[in-house]
Amino acid sequence: MYGCLSARLFRTVALAFLTAAAAQAEEMVVAFGAEPTQVEPTRATAGVDAYFVSLFYEQLLNVSPELERIDWLAESWSFEPVGDEHILSVKIREGVKFHNGDTLSAHDFRFAFERQRDPLSRAAGRFRYVRDLVVRDDHRFDIVFREPDAAFVPWNLALWAIPRRHFEAVGEAGMQAHPVGTGPWKFVSRKPREELVVERFEDYWNASAKPRAKRLVIKIIPEDTTRVAAFKTGAVDWIDAVPPAQVGDFEAMPGVRTVSLPGPNNLYLGLNAVDPRSPLADVRVRRAVAHAIDTDAIVEFVVHGQGIRTAQLAPGSVGYDAALTPYRYDPGLARALLAEAGYPRGIRVNCYNLTTPREPNIKEVGEAVFAFLGAAGIRCRVHQMEYGAWINLLRGASRPTMDGIVSAMWGHGLPADPTDAWSGHLHTAADNWGRNSYHSDPAFDRLVEELRTTMDPGARYRLASRIARLKHEQVAGGLPTYRPLISLAWRDTLRFRPWPAAGWRSMYEIDLARPHGRVGSSARAELLRRERLAP
Amino acid sequence: MRRYILHRLWQGAVAVVGALLIVFVAQRLSGDPVALLLPMDATEADFEAMRSALGLDRPLPVQFVVFLRDALLGDFGHSYLWNMPAMDLVLERLPATLELALAGLVFALALAVPLGVLSAVHRGGWIDNAAKLFAMLGQAMPGFWVGLLLIVFVAVQLQWLPAYGRGTVGHLVLPAIALGWYPVAAMTRTLRSAMLDIMQSDYVRMERAIGLPERAIVWRFALRNAAVPLVTLIGVYFANMLGGAFVIEVVFAWPGVGRAVVEAVFARDFPVVQAGVILAAVIFVVVNLIVDLTYGLIDPRIRHE
Repeated sequence: MYGCLSARLFRTVALAFLTAAAAQAEEMVVAFGAEPTQVEPTRATAGVDAYFVSLFYEQLLNVSPELERIDWLAESWSFEPVGDEHILSVKIREGVKFHNGDTLSAHDFRFAFERQRDPLSRAAGRFRYVRDLVVRDDHRFDIVFREPDAAFVPWNLALWAIPRRHFEAVGEAGMQAHPVGTGPWKFVSRKPREELVVERFEDYWNASAKPRAKRLVIKIIPEDTTRVAAFKTGAVDWIDAVPPAQVGDFEAMPGVRTVSLPGPNNLYLGLNAVDPRSPLADVRVRRAVAHAIDTDAIVEFVVHGQGIRTAQLAPGSVGYDAALTPYRYDPGLARALLAEAGYPRGIRVNCYNLTTPREPNIKEVGEAVFAFLGAAGIRCRVHQMEYGAWINLLRGASRPTMDGIVSAMWGHGLPADPTDAWSGHLHTAADNWGRNSYHSDPAFDRLVEELRTTMDPGARYRLASRIARLKHEQVAGGLPTYRPLISLAWRDTLRFRPWPAAGWRSMYEIDLARPHGRVGSSARAELLRRERLAP
Repeated sequence: MRRYILHRLWQGAVAVVGALLIVFVAQRLSGDPVALLLPMDATEADFEAMRSALGLDRPLPVQFVVFLRDALLGDFGHSYLWNMPAMDLVLERLPATLELALAGLVFALALAVPLGVLSAVHRGGWIDNAAKLFAMLGQAMPGFWVGLLLIVFVAVQLQWLPAYGRGTVGHLVLPAIALGWYPVAAMTRTLRSAMLDIMQSDYVRMERAIGLPERAIVWRFALRNAAVPLVTLIGVYFANMLGGAFVIEVVFAWPGVGRAVVEAVFARDFPVVQAGVILAAVIFVVVNLIVDLTYGLIDPRIRHE
């Protein structure tokens, strides 16, 4: 009898142990360098907030790993002029479920529209050309525009799918505490500044993008050295933002895969060309700036090759023209241009250097840029600026404080589209335009406004190319330098395919490389043991 | 004594409001938080709407008075970024910071007390020289650098302890060493100096003359008298650890108050900064009061009137 009881007890304990082990076996641990503050998409801004939002929530369109914009929650959509208005008609997919079991309908998008255009929404400005959203039936709605807005497409039609009824029941605080969307991952728990735990959404509508891993733990480790150490010790199996100086080491590590992918940001130098007293108002001085900087050397040695050199736009951008090449490094020519402009002894200007962990080594890049300028006779009084001070300086309302040269950045998105950026820093500052612009030229204003309202993709590409060439010739709206790369690393015990949303951190395709393997240090030990035992 | 405590608490309240006023003005001079909340392409109308929604369009004195009134009623405002009450955000991180600060203090005392005492007793000997070298290294090596070294050697190379995070005692060891590293040096030097003075005093000579064992003289009588300046340092460093462990918290991904407040400073999240400053100021006031009261327990000659 005792033997029978012992056997039962043993079986029970063993079963419990195996169940726990199986649950652990399907868990993966990854680490992000930055943490979002908002997980509710109608209150989120771009950038880091997307890291978590993209797990839980979805939009009408998405971008594939091949950087093609694809229909997502929208089954189809079209944009047509109707009388004085322009109508974007959307038909959404049927049968899409939220994590709480509610079914997605057009009314949910109407609710999202109201929240997103609320002044408290960080992205209310995206609806500035929208008059209304009209629900036609449960699966169809129209977005009514006063005038066409071509930037609406790069924003994936701007709207987020949020569950109206659930939202009204739990309120904003409830949604922040426990996000409920249609996305591939369901919220389990969150410890701010420590970790987020999510699990696969079993009723996810898109079988081809449904995660195969059961559970994902996202650790927040802001310090580069610590994040790298966590990877090397096996505490995590995937990390983002591999420090540029260490990408080579990671690429050489056995059993580790590393990719460097274009980020959504474009870096440039803002030049104050609107103040007639500024030497930078003269195009010859701006060209001197362009010739004075060895940007190729900066990309190679300061960011360790983790950047794509740009004349104006990176490959893959709307309007990219391979024939448009960057200004060559020629400090002699820079000095000659300065002399031709009436500054034979050079000039002295204020130079504002952005320091932020948002872009790797950006402080050092600025310092190198200003050193190159000094060597060519453009002597900088360097002001170091943390992000908050920099963004206050950069925006137009602070003018004329930004009276010289500023290291700057403006996201072009993935796939890249310059419409928004050029509206902000090339168009003359006025009304909804030129928020961070230090350039003023009516010809560019007309072109940028035309780009904003040109919906045909082919025509947009040609127009953007034309603007890029003119912008390049005039060194207008700043001098582009490079587009940073984002580096990710993971062990080959994982199968991971980066999708571009959230700066390549969206976790659609992440899974164990081998079935029933356990990711984590003991999992690797187990895999190694099996490999040793294998014939 | 009661009058003394009440007087110190009143002084503390004035100090807290004063600190708050300085931070309130300074952070508003540092720039517009709305520029950080809105996307790059936001218009002036978007800015105005957001400022109005956050109450930032009112005159500064009105904002301060409203804030003080609400704070007295227990409402410290909502975080602009985290969408939750600012004081809740700070308080929910306090246990992690307390845990780390206490562990750092225990580490510092566990090293500083024996080192300080032994180096004074064996003045000029190898222990003294080793302690002086240790103290010099402690003050020359910043805690964050010590932290990174510990991560590289102890966590990555030896794989003895976790490199980051919070949860087990093992997670606490490396950040506690990094945090306690600098105070060890200062405490050792202070205690050594105090012990050297005491060991040459008349009463120690008397104790030796009556035949008390040297161990009892050093550890029971001399150390107690030498502890007064050490207690002062403990108060200062403990308060600093509670409010200023930011760098160590970042290095070890430790979810503490310091990291939350400094991130809020950079994000211009005014309510969180204000809540953090109130908490830090209250902690400083309370810790210093406890330190002052402790003097009387250690040395009965000290009385608070």
